[in-house]
Amino acid sequence: MSEVKQHLNRREFFSYLSVAWITFSAACAGLLSLAFRFSYPNVNFEPEMDFLAGTTSDYEEGVDERWKNGFGVWMVKQEGRLVALSNICTHLGCIPTWMPAELKFKCPCHGSGYYMSGINFEGPAPRPLERYKINLTPEGKIKVDKTKVYRYEKGQWDNPNSFIQV
Amino acid sequence: MKELINWVADPIRSFPIFSILFFIVMKYYRIVGTKKFAWIFTAIAIPAFFWFMSDPNFFLIITFPDNIPISILIVSILFFTWFTLHKCAINDQRIEDGLGPVEALPENREKVWCWPNLVYTELFTIIAGTVFLIVWAIIFKAPLEEPANPTWAPNPAKAPWYFLGLQEMLVYFDPWMAGVVLPGLVVVGLIAIPYIDTNPKGNGYFTFKERPIAIWGFMFGWLVLWIYLIIVGTFLRGPNWTFYGPFEYWDFHKVVAEYNVNLSEFLWVKWLNTSMPANLIMREMLGIIITALYVFVLPPLIAASDFGKKIIEKSGQIRYYIFITLLLIMMSLPIKMVLRWLFSLKYIVALPEWELNL
Amino acid sequence: MAEKGLADKVRETQIWKSIFRHGPPDNARNRAAVVAGNVFLHLHPIKLKKSGVKLGYTWCMGGLTFFIFLALTVTGVLLMFYYRPTAEYAFNDIIALREHVPLGIMREIHRWGAHAMVITVWLHMFRVFMTGSYKPPREFNWGVGVILLVLTLLLSFTGYLLPWDQLAIWAIAVGSNMAKATPFLGHGGPGAMLAQIGDFVMVSDKNDVRFQLLAGRFVGEPALLRFYILHCVFIPLVVGVLIAVHFWRVRKDGGISAPL
Repeated sequence: MSEVKQHLNRREFFSYLSVAWITFSAACAGLLSLAFRFSYPNVNFEPEMDFLAGTTSDYEEGVDERWKNGFGVWMVKQEGRLVALSNICTHLGCIPTWMPAELKFKCPCHGSGYYMSGINFEGPAPRPLERYKINLTPEGKIKVDKTKVYRYEKGQWDNPNSFIQV
Repeated sequence: MKELINWVADPIRSFPIFSILFFIVMKYYRIVGTKKFAWIFTAIAIPAFFWFMSDPNFFLIITFPDNIPISILIVSILFFTWFTLHKCAINDQRIEDGLGPVEALPENREKVWCWPNLVYTELFTIIAGTVFLIVWAIIFKAPLEEPANPTWAPNPAKAPWYFLGLQEMLVYFDPWMAGVVLPGLVVVGLIAIPYIDTNPKGNGYFTFKERPIAIWGFMFGWLVLWIYLIIVGTFLRGPNWTFYGPFEYWDFHKVVAEYNVNLSEFLWVKWLNTSMPANLIMREMLGIIITALYVFVLPPLIAASDFGKKIIEKSGQIRYYIFITLLLIMMSLPIKMVLRWLFSLKYIVALPEWELNL
Repeated sequence: MAEKGLADKVRETQIWKSIFRHGPPDNARNRAAVVAGNVFLHLHPIKLKKSGVKLGYTWCMGGLTFFIFLALTVTGVLLMFYYRPTAEYAFNDIIALREHVPLGIMREIHRWGAHAMVITVWLHMFRVFMTGSYKPPREFNWGVGVILLVLTLLLSFTGYLLPWDQLAIWAIAVGSNMAKATPFLGHGGPGAMLAQIGDFVMVSDKNDVRFQLLAGRFVGEPALLRFYILHCVFIPLVVGVLIAVHFWRVRKDGGISAPL
């Protein structure tokens, strides 16, 4: 008479145990990562990232502030180039103020200062202001696209998309 | 006189002065910790306070609603710092005389009933706290400015006052250091204190003499690097985060000539008179070497000194290295501040390409 | 036999006896019973060392912190009756709290209380350090206390955004931009550059820690809702649990510290 084996031996017990623990940990990790993913919404209702900014003839030499409040962009015309300069301080994301008398951008949070070109020269800002993608539509309108940024320290300010020759 | 105070209050001067003052107070705590000293200090401080308040600019800053907690904080810190030193002075004298601390007296070791001894104290504290909060709430309105406008930042834009020490640190450090790494290490360091400090003495009573390193280290971080920076960030930083003396009008157009230079620029442009190398690592070599020396070579060097030997003997290698690393990182703040003031040094390692500035 | 006073008569009613199951705490037995038998008072030991009762030793800062936490919970719940965390209403509701509601100082108590709690919690830590009360066997409880201190600051910080005024959003903008600089996890921090394959950026402003905190790329309405939930529900719950641990461990680690 052969006896039906009813008990696990030691080795089997431990292999079942480790499978159980691995499954349990994996399930916990899965739930945690789902909860984590939950905190990142798929859709978010933030302002448009691109806009039409008139024609090149609208701008005079210097800093133009008309798009600052709506889109967070300064249009700077200097040395034959028109660029769309981000108004977000590279230090901690405050909004610098354009000071026409001193010809500089000055950040109210920690006092970073930038030249008209966007290059930082004082205060704690680690790098120059960013420039946004800017080009002309077939109708001759200026289009600023904030999804693409050009950074000076990476040598991207010579990229033809980062300025308009005027 | 007011000019002089304005001049002295600039962190360039007031930070060393405050540090020296801190050193003197801690060194001569037995004199500071007497009641006589407290009375004399109060007698001088109250008229001085009213004289300060008579200045319209100072009055304006001090009565700004969100600054009132800091005034309360300063007064309570002054009192409680004196009070601990007072208690420590008494206990240390007693310990020297072989009497043991006050808390260990037989009548203090005696057990008493919780009701009424503790319960009534608590009741009294709760009532006092309630009255205090209600009076405060009636006298001072909670601040409310214009509705939020994400496109226009007020000038100066300040964090809540308890984070102004961090915001002041941001002047000297990059955000990833001042905003993330250093605060994180403060928390880790605080939690680590009981595991690093193996000195069995001073458990359950006030004493300075029996645990000097612990108290010196903690008090320096707490009073000089935390409270002092909050005071500077609150009262002495105006528009554009420019320094303004306590009696100075917050003039939006005050221009401060400030041009900070990276260490790499010092090395290549000013000392070697060449252009900056294109290779990033090469460019920042000096800064990287200095940082590496500071973090990795200094701890073993200190370990060989008397100070280091004493700590290792008492608490072992691992505790020593954790302690000294935390201490060195804490000291990097005043070091960086002094370098900024003396040489307008901006970053020791400046790698904006990798967002890695030190 | 002397005439019984009103107080004695009240004490003999069934209602009184059903609530307080012992006589007045004027003898040893009842003093023990009042502390041990009351769910709120039994946080305390029945007897404790005299040094631990003295105000000059404890400063009562921990107790005061807990009291302010309770006061903030009560005033906070009252404020929630009137406050809607949306960009459209938040600011106006804050004004309404002062203008349209009797006893319009509730927000003041809440705000000043929050500041006061930060101060008392710092002073509590200062006292605990100076008396060496973190030393064995209280190391673990000191760590719990440090975390509670951080959570107090976070509670205060998340609440700072809710009035939705200029002070609020710029303070939070500065604060949350620090999260952007977190090494490896923030898109503006060191290490984020390394996680870049060609044009594909792994850590960007759309998936870093700041995005998680603000539910957006900048401080907007989703951030307001998120901070509101953190401020009113999430952090208070965590703090509540940790306070329970903190108090429990004070008792289990030998009560208020005293010389060995």
